[in-house]
Amino acid sequence: MKTLTDYSNIFKRYDLDLEVKKKEAREVSKDPALQKVAGFVVKGDDEGIVAAVNDVLAAKDPVTVIEQGLVAGMDEVSRLWDEGVYFLPQVMLAADAMNVGISLCEKKMGKARTMKGKVVTHTAEGDIHDIGQVIANALLNAGGFEVINLGPDCPVDKVVAAVKEHKPVMATGTALMTTTMTAFPRICAKLKALGDKTPFISAGGACALEFGTSYDNSVWAKLDAWAVPLAEDALSGMTWEAMRAKWNA
Amino acid sequence: MARKPITQMAYKSGEEMIFGTAKNPVTTKRGIKLGGGFVHPQVVPHPRPGSEKTKNTLLREFEKMNNDALERMPIVGHPTLLIHQEQIFQMCHNTDWGADIAALTARQMDDYKAKYGLLASQQLCIADLRKPQICHMRTSDYAKEVIESFKACAPYADVLGIESMGGKEIFDHALIRQDVGGLLFAIGYLGSIDMEWMWNQIVDIAKANNCIAGGDTDCSEANTAVFMAGGLTSKDVPHVFAALTRAMAAARTLVAYECGATGPGEDCAYENPIIKAMTGIPITTEGKASACAHSDLCSNLIAAVCDAWSNEAVEYHDMFGATTPSVFAEITGWDCAQFNTAIELGYQKEMKEILVNSDMYRDSHSLILTPDNAWKIGNAIVKNTAKGYYPRARAAAMEAASIITGDAKMKLTVFEKEALEKAVTDMEALPDDEANFVDMCLKKYKDVKGFNPDSYGLK
Repeated sequence: MKTLTDYSNIFKRYDLDLEVKKKEAREVSKDPALQKVAGFVVKGDDEGIVAAVNDVLAAKDPVTVIEQGLVAGMDEVSRLWDEGVYFLPQVMLAADAMNVGISLCEKKMGKARTMKGKVVTHTAEGDIHDIGQVIANALLNAGGFEVINLGPDCPVDKVVAAVKEHKPVMATGTALMTTTMTAFPRICAKLKALGDKTPFISAGGACALEFGTSYDNSVWAKLDAWAVPLAEDALSGMTWEAMRAKWNA
Repeated sequence: MARKPITQMAYKSGEEMIFGTAKNPVTTKRGIKLGGGFVHPQVVPHPRPGSEKTKNTLLREFEKMNNDALERMPIVGHPTLLIHQEQIFQMCHNTDWGADIAALTARQMDDYKAKYGLLASQQLCIADLRKPQICHMRTSDYAKEVIESFKACAPYADVLGIESMGGKEIFDHALIRQDVGGLLFAIGYLGSIDMEWMWNQIVDIAKANNCIAGGDTDCSEANTAVFMAGGLTSKDVPHVFAALTRAMAAARTLVAYECGATGPGEDCAYENPIIKAMTGIPITTEGKASACAHSDLCSNLIAAVCDAWSNEAVEYHDMFGATTPSVFAEITGWDCAQFNTAIELGYQKEMKEILVNSDMYRDSHSLILTPDNAWKIGNAIVKNTAKGYYPRARAAAMEAASIITGDAKMKLTVFEKEALEKAVTDMEALPDDEANFVDMCLKKYKDVKGFNPDSYGLK
């Protein structure tokens, strides 16, 4: 079959033009042991991190290890992702490594670490496409939020009950089908009827700006990467109206 | 029907493959010969949110969508139309909903044939309600509803299909971690086992109802990889992973045809060119006209060997020109008129070259789907069929990797290049033997949320 030698009049490889020069991760701690722990998070090494965390726990308290080693490493990963050096899989592997380290620290503490707040997440009733929710869960957890994961095909009433029970800073819904995202306004209507003003994040492939801002309580999220900054805004006390004004203007 | 493993290629080369013609054409109830020399348009209307409220509202929605699409054909002079019904959850969960809508669609097509001589057919894609994380893949109520829906809808269908979900729980876990071994386990092994379980039943149902057992697609996995890879400015999953996943998907989707399905498979099976090379079945593909549903980087190339040309899915709305089913039935019909004119003028080879060259170096996922490369990947699959599901999927992925790295015109970013190199290294380190690989994976992935080996008949 005939092929061309030059395709520049047919398509433009923007990815090659936009390619970000590879950058090394920055040092996050002057303490070598904590930096070593952070390094395993940055590399996404959930096996190597075990020895590193156990070693440093012999000399430092778990809260310090979590905050200045594990979370600090994760913050560096977030920076690399924001700058286009890291892609999503590196972020997920880093989150896995961080969680392994946190489990070890929690075992030493004898209790779970203090999380910033709770977020109730679910995939819409009748919808089984939950990979967006899975990613958001990992990012929220890595961002210090306790995720109440209701899973795929979650009935409307179960979401409302979970919001009532857990009093999260926000709730999220993911839908890939336009015929399942109709669950979101029903959830929000029930929350509103209860006088509950918890921000509800409407997300997923089916959900566009116009739909996601057409009912009270709802803030539309375009990307999984918005999950943590949205949660931080909710945690800071921003109302759903203020969040919508900021994110969906 | 018991599976008959495919160990020989249907085509001698990619060059032999062309749009409009398949080695093993099939004919629908109202006389459309798919793969019989010409390409046919396919439209996939999707109901609006809210129309699923009751059976009646949904029935009325489909009635209008179907009519709008069918009505447009005699207006513009398109001789055939394939209507593809991708079931929403409610249509399978409530079996009578799906069956009544299928029956209605059949009546509408009969009416248009009687009135205008328009040849139309209906491909029913039964919703796979099973999600490994929420139910047992074989014994759950959802699994039973799927089979019951096939039985209820088959009397009205021309073609039966499904987008099956086997292996999805491992796939989601593996893709976002760039774990190529996990992808091979999910798609190549678990997906194939689940396909065999499903398609033996579907083929029997189709035979009992005098309709065509069409085929499947690895939408839940390979298309997820493509969508997460995104376009040229995306930073989620490497595009090379979408390419490797697609190659594995062909090994898995092949199982339907080994169980007796005859095509056309599902339109969103971008692995269909590989499937056609291996089986000779007619295939439906989707590209530029499916931008209404999703974007891709091979929108022209994917038409190069199609036998039906689809728009994937479009929600029912008004546009300036007409409603969406009218508009997209017309658009896909015009594309087919181009293909068929090229065939009649003897310019099909040149048109194939145009389609392929448009996209082959746009992206690595596009490159592996050229007819020549699809043939090479298919050849790697069939040559390894005797070794088992996993070895042939792995062979497919290794061939895809080799195609990408071996073509100097395929430019990759450093990130993509490193991702591909690591994937190859990881695949080379995996066990060759299927039993050893499966043992390893059962241990490694035992804690993945929702993974139940019993769903696949494994201990």
